[in-house]
Amino acid sequence: MAVTHEEVRQAKAIAPFKFNLKPMIMGLIVLIMIFGGARWYQQWAAWDYGLDATDPMFDKYWMRVFWGEIIVEVTLFFSFVGYLWMTRDKHLNNLKPREELRRLMLWVSMLVVYAFAFYFAGSFYAEQDATWHQTVVRDTSFTPSHIFLFYMSMPVFIILGFSLFFYAITRLPFFARKISIGLVLVVCGPFMLLPTVGYNEWGHAFWLMEEYFTVPLHWGFVFFGWTIIALSGVLIQVMKYMVELLPKVINEKGELTS
Amino acid sequence: MKLTTNEATLLSAVTTPNSDAARISRGLDMFVVAILFFAIIAAFHIHIMLTVGDWDFWVDWKDRMYWVTATPMLLIFIPAALSYPFMMKFGLPIAGTLCALCLVIGEWISRIVGFHLWTYFPYSMIWPAIVLPGLMLMDLVLLLSRNLFITSIFGGSAVAFAFAPANWPILAPYHEPVVHMGQLVNVADMIGYSFTRTATPEYLRFIERGTLRTFGGESTLISTGFSGFVCMILFFVWWKIGEWLTNLGTIPNVVKKHVGLGDDDDEK
Repeated sequence: MAVTHEEVRQAKAIAPFKFNLKPMIMGLIVLIMIFGGARWYQQWAAWDYGLDATDPMFDKYWMRVFWGEIIVEVTLFFSFVGYLWMTRDKHLNNLKPREELRRLMLWVSMLVVYAFAFYFAGSFYAEQDATWHQTVVRDTSFTPSHIFLFYMSMPVFIILGFSLFFYAITRLPFFARKISIGLVLVVCGPFMLLPTVGYNEWGHAFWLMEEYFTVPLHWGFVFFGWTIIALSGVLIQVMKYMVELLPKVINEKGELTS
Repeated sequence: MKLTTNEATLLSAVTTPNSDAARISRGLDMFVVAILFFAIIAAFHIHIMLTVGDWDFWVDWKDRMYWVTATPMLLIFIPAALSYPFMMKFGLPIAGTLCALCLVIGEWISRIVGFHLWTYFPYSMIWPAIVLPGLMLMDLVLLLSRNLFITSIFGGSAVAFAFAPANWPILAPYHEPVVHMGQLVNVADMIGYSFTRTATPEYLRFIERGTLRTFGGESTLISTGFSGFVCMILFFVWWKIGEWLTNLGTIPNVVKKHVGLGDDDDEK
């Protein structure tokens, strides 16, 4: 097949596709610093200042951290979600496939950050909560374990989850045309862990529940943790959509056409 | 099966070596692998720790009451649910093995950083149960049979039947008898007495019930049989739950007009 000068010129004008990995890498580094720093702080301050909630030192070294977390998290939540909504793309009907592909890849890369944050809440800080409370009996809802599990790790993935949801419905036509139920579950299911914390603490006010970590009072966390299985459905939706989207920007030789 | 035009174009594009399409496709794969790795660790680990975790945390609990019976039953939930998308959407019968690996990674990080470095328990007391053989067998049955019912019966029950034998070699030395203050106990109990957990039942009161305490006895076999039977049913049920969660679909977006989309954009 003959190739014209015009075709060669157009081919040269098409910029190669680059994955924008910077937000994902930055996100992972920030999370490692936050969660690693928190774990270091636990090691330093939990045994010395975290055993008695009536101790003035507990107020100084732990409750200040707690209130600081709450203020920062509420601010970040409304800042991220508000920013994503206020700066939304108001012309998604005219979005070029190439730009849509770029945004979709960025969004999927940020799902890695969301999953990483969920790992710290669901695995790392959650299980060490067992060893702390089965060893050091809790005296209030605020302990060196809870202050980083319930009031830091969980809000962090909730902030990320809602931000990703709002990014999807304001910048990605595939998720904006119709709301993916799987995506709602992936964001709202883990979010429901936070109300479960309230129910959990109410129960712990009555009974010494750490006797078993597997008490039914804790099963609300399990139930809402299951919703993350819907992530497989979201990823399959994305992959199916890629079957429609990719042929709009590539030819059968695999070269970019726009 | 006949491919659509889009599918044929895409297949040709992504199978062209070093093409842009192949690079984009591989990049997406890498993201998906990373997402699944962290998400499965979190989901499977929180599920296990809050349903059968106590028996998994401590060596002196690993022969008590529910360990042999309940752990395989709870182990099968998430792997069975994920078997559906992995097998039916990607042709990969690897969900059981992947879940087991993710769980053991999450558990070991927690045992080292939390249980050992923070609360100073020795590794001999806090090693997690070995779950890989049973879940690998489950995958193997799915690979060979490619059939839900056969995998439920033979793969589901394999999770239970492999559990006690897989853990026996590492657990047996802890069951050597020791006389402590005139009482016959085992090595695992001695370790438990030495490293106090002030909130756990054995510290608060006497909790022994039944005969399953003798892990090597016939009660283990009978309990495993019961667990295997329940696992058969649970594999089927959770496969169906996985199918449901994978195919949830969509609902109308009532705010789409704020991003420039109208009703006629639905089918684009």
